[in-house]
Amino acid sequence: MRFLPFLFVLLTTPLFGQLKWENPDQTFVPKPQDKEVIARYRFTNAGTIPVTISDVHTSCGCTTAALQKKQYGPGESGEIAAAFNIAGRTGHQEKDIYVTTSAALLNPTVLRLKVDIPESIKIEPQLVMWRLGDQPVAKTIRIAVPDEIPAKVVSVVTDNQAVKLDLREIRPGKELEVRVTPQGTTQAAATTLVIRTDYPPGNPETHYAYARVK
Amino acid sequence: MKAVRQALWILLAALVPAFLASAFHPKRPAWSEDVLQPGEERLGTVQSWGDSVLWVDARSRKEFDTEHIPNAVLLNLEEWDQLFPAFLDRWQPNQKVVVYCSSLACHMSEEVADRLRRNSVEPVYVLKGGWEAWKSKR
Repeated sequence: MRFLPFLFVLLTTPLFGQLKWENPDQTFVPKPQDKEVIARYRFTNAGTIPVTISDVHTSCGCTTAALQKKQYGPGESGEIAAAFNIAGRTGHQEKDIYVTTSAALLNPTVLRLKVDIPESIKIEPQLVMWRLGDQPVAKTIRIAVPDEIPAKVVSVVTDNQAVKLDLREIRPGKELEVRVTPQGTTQAAATTLVIRTDYPPGNPETHYAYARVK
Repeated sequence: MKAVRQALWILLAALVPAFLASAFHPKRPAWSEDVLQPGEERLGTVQSWGDSVLWVDARSRKEFDTEHIPNAVLLNLEEWDQLFPAFLDRWQPNQKVVVYCSSLACHMSEEVADRLRRNSVEPVYVLKGGWEAWKSKR
């Protein structure tokens, strides 16, 4: 029965040591030019014995800074910072951060990071393609800048003459239709459509669409 | 008799956390092979398709540079505009594309596969188990 004290410690640690999280579920709405968001999760050891953080891991695309220390005494506070790289992403994203502590070895705390990433421009589709020998009929790419984004499309050009562009502005700078027609489909061709905007000032964004004959 | 009783107690003490871990731990292994989600394929199936498959690595450039499936092309969301043209150079119409990322908990491969499909790149599959599935079968 000498092992019983160990069993007692295992089963009762969660009763005496526990981390209390201030805001375990955080939501962000970044600006269009932001590349990452950083969430800071503050905690306090609300128990009566020290708590050790034994593991922190995250969903991919999300990283956590190394902890300055791992053991926190009763009443002591700390912070876990999680950075989420939002470059290239749009829409609603959710990432989880799992924190395992000595107070609950088998039941990690799940911290949640929610990010609603605004789409600075919508290009649909980003690729138009013709098979070799297809009829060289026009295909349409639609470009739209959401009203809440203070950007306008200033030009759409190609990097070669393999396709012909026919631009139609539905709402100037905000909504365009680009009809893309290949000069022919007897041989393979690759063209990039360069879509320039006027935002953000000083370093305006450029976006791309692609036309291929394969 | 006393030894047996103590052994049973030890077994019980081990079984309780083991049961809790098997039921609640976020990294617990599956009891059986999970069913495939729409658009997913198992490694064995993909390998049976032969060399015509185009592997797409949706992980970070750093992970890709460290190691990747032979002949895989890097295509992640962070560098989409820079990497998509290289993908288009490699891809042939109707070629089977299989996307993988770093782990079971990663949804990057689903996001990349979804974006490819929205651009009429078909058929596109996601490798069940991701990079770990590939590594474990080598």
